[in-house]
Amino acid sequence: MERIKHFVTENPDLVFAILLAFSVFTFFAITEPLFFTHRTGFAIMERFAVLGLVGLALTLCIIAGEIDLSIGSNAALAAVITVRFTDDWGAVNALLLALAVSTTIGAIQGYFIAYLRIRAIVLTVGTLMLLRGVALFAADEKTVMLTDFRIPDFISTKMLVYFSPASLLVIAMFIIVGLFMTYTRYGREIYAIGGARKEALASGISLHRPMIIVFAISGFCAGLGGIIIGLRSGTAQALGLQYLLLAGTVAAFIGGVSILGGKGGVIGAAIGTLTVNFLNTGLVFNVTPSFMVQLYLGILLLVVIMFQTGSRVFDERQRRSQLLNDVDRRRSILADKIAELRRPSG
Amino acid sequence: MTDATAMSGDDLNFIQRIRRDYSPLVIAMVGLFLVVFLAGATLTDDFLTWFNVKTIIRDAALVGIMAIGLTFVTLSGNFFLLSMKEIAALSIICFATLMGADWNQWGPAEGDPTTSALMMTFLVAFTATMIIATITGAIQGALIGLGGNPIVVTLGAAGLFFGIGSWWSDNLVVSYRRPHGAEWLGTGSFIGDIPNITVAFIIIAVVAELTLRYTTFGRQVYLVGANRAAGRATGHENFGMAIKCCIIASVCAAFVAVAFSGQVSSAHVNYFSSEFGSSGDMTIMVIAIVMVGGNSIMGGYGSTLRTSLGAIFISSIDNMMVLNGFNSGARVLAVGLMIVFSIIVFALVRRGSRAVE
Repeated sequence: MERIKHFVTENPDLVFAILLAFSVFTFFAITEPLFFTHRTGFAIMERFAVLGLVGLALTLCIIAGEIDLSIGSNAALAAVITVRFTDDWGAVNALLLALAVSTTIGAIQGYFIAYLRIRAIVLTVGTLMLLRGVALFAADEKTVMLTDFRIPDFISTKMLVYFSPASLLVIAMFIIVGLFMTYTRYGREIYAIGGARKEALASGISLHRPMIIVFAISGFCAGLGGIIIGLRSGTAQALGLQYLLLAGTVAAFIGGVSILGGKGGVIGAAIGTLTVNFLNTGLVFNVTPSFMVQLYLGILLLVVIMFQTGSRVFDERQRRSQLLNDVDRRRSILADKIAELRRPSG
Repeated sequence: MTDATAMSGDDLNFIQRIRRDYSPLVIAMVGLFLVVFLAGATLTDDFLTWFNVKTIIRDAALVGIMAIGLTFVTLSGNFFLLSMKEIAALSIICFATLMGADWNQWGPAEGDPTTSALMMTFLVAFTATMIIATITGAIQGALIGLGGNPIVVTLGAAGLFFGIGSWWSDNLVVSYRRPHGAEWLGTGSFIGDIPNITVAFIIIAVVAELTLRYTTFGRQVYLVGANRAAGRATGHENFGMAIKCCIIASVCAAFVAVAFSGQVSSAHVNYFSSEFGSSGDMTIMVIAIVMVGGNSIMGGYGSTLRTSLGAIFISSIDNMMVLNGFNSGARVLAVGLMIVFSIIVFALVRRGSRAVE
């Protein structure tokens, strides 16, 4: 019990995320008879495979105090490359090429952000457009399609009731990135440049290395997400996948990252993604059109961000009034002392 | 003595001054770009004709007006709104729905309605659209002013507005009959053969530039953008400023929506999303124009004149590529390269002169 209390006070955001995920799940489990079944569990994990990667990528970027807007374009480019070249070169080669391209793009972005000392949103808005152009170019402005459907069948084979090769791969990715962020020096550097950049730079951390690592991982995750979508559906569009940014941001913010950076973690990203997936999947049962899902996600993001901002403003005000109180108290004590000292002499 | 005059730079000619102020890399990049642009302009047939120049400015008008609105937000240090196209989508649905609404027909039931009846319909729809746009702008501005991150707030607001627009129109195309009161704005021309939308673009650009330069409000925008702490110390909080700037951006987006709806006599939430212009996405295009114009994204530096020129520049590059027979992929690629290029050049120019944050 004591340990639980300690956990709650240490990680209020994570506990909030778990509670939110649990209540969303319970709500749909009660209202929809089909929701709490093995088949729906499998469907949720299949969605988790893609959205989880995007949520993970955005979580890392926001931990580093930046945001990667080009994530949808990067995913679309990877999807187009994989689907286009699978027939000629085989799926593995095409997949590796796409991963290499998207990771390199991410690393280059990170390098330029660190070298030019600009905010990531500035550069990634540009690359959003640029990568879209590259994807259109790679796809010849058509919707590219697979002819051989053995690979799509393979990556969505059911294993262990809930999982498929794709979702197992993504879970492995989560574990690796989580260990990397918690236990290696490079991971801690990412937290450092996000939470207190000036202090981190002053204490000798170079901005280049963590930025390149963060954006390379972000590019890798976006690419992998795009590949999974492309191979699973067998088609890819150069202008598609833009909805990933909103869903991924919602997942990251529910998972407890702070827009100021330096807070949050991989577990939060997983729980945030699961919450969004529960919501998505549950709304599908109600035959909700996709724009209504977007509306709910928008409201959810606004609520979460206002909650966070409100608590920050409240904290600051509290701290300031406490400081003023403190100053007042000391001043009155001082005044009393001075009066006491003056009395005998006067 | 000679050293002192050389240091002050009064006797340097133009080229020497440029070589003193900018690094060789920046000069080489800009020079290369200028050479490519001028070569393209002279070698492309029919590029430098009066008719084509008119086409370029007309193409630049719609995105340009939106970008001018967004420039206010950027100058006041609130980055940019990622919800520009969704505001426009909600506005266009509102406008078209009211233009076709039964209660909003002021003419006789039989026969062609008179001009004044058409204008009455238009005015009612226009006013309602502007009110909606003001509300959307004020909501976002208030959330940003309270301390929410502009990118995340507007990303959420974008989903919300798009959802409301789709829900209102049932995700269908809303159309209304010609003749209607918005034709003069969409396709008409009062002054010779210059389209009214071009005239509107020029008027809005001039008014915005004059507002920023010569009014108290304009100077306050620059102050809040350049130095938030100084602004707060002198009584100019970002709260009111963010609301005002977001309302300006929203109203500009709604105006563009009305003009576009006047051209096609219909509305759909996706008009500004994928099938519009060369870019495929109005929001990104608008942000691109603000950046290519060289406005500082951190705020406080730039002008709407730069934005207007950026709009015309991007439009002319696009036009040049169309005349040379490029497909949309190559054009999007070129616009993307131009944005990244201008970001890098402006960052290199300003490096050292501005703080990191």
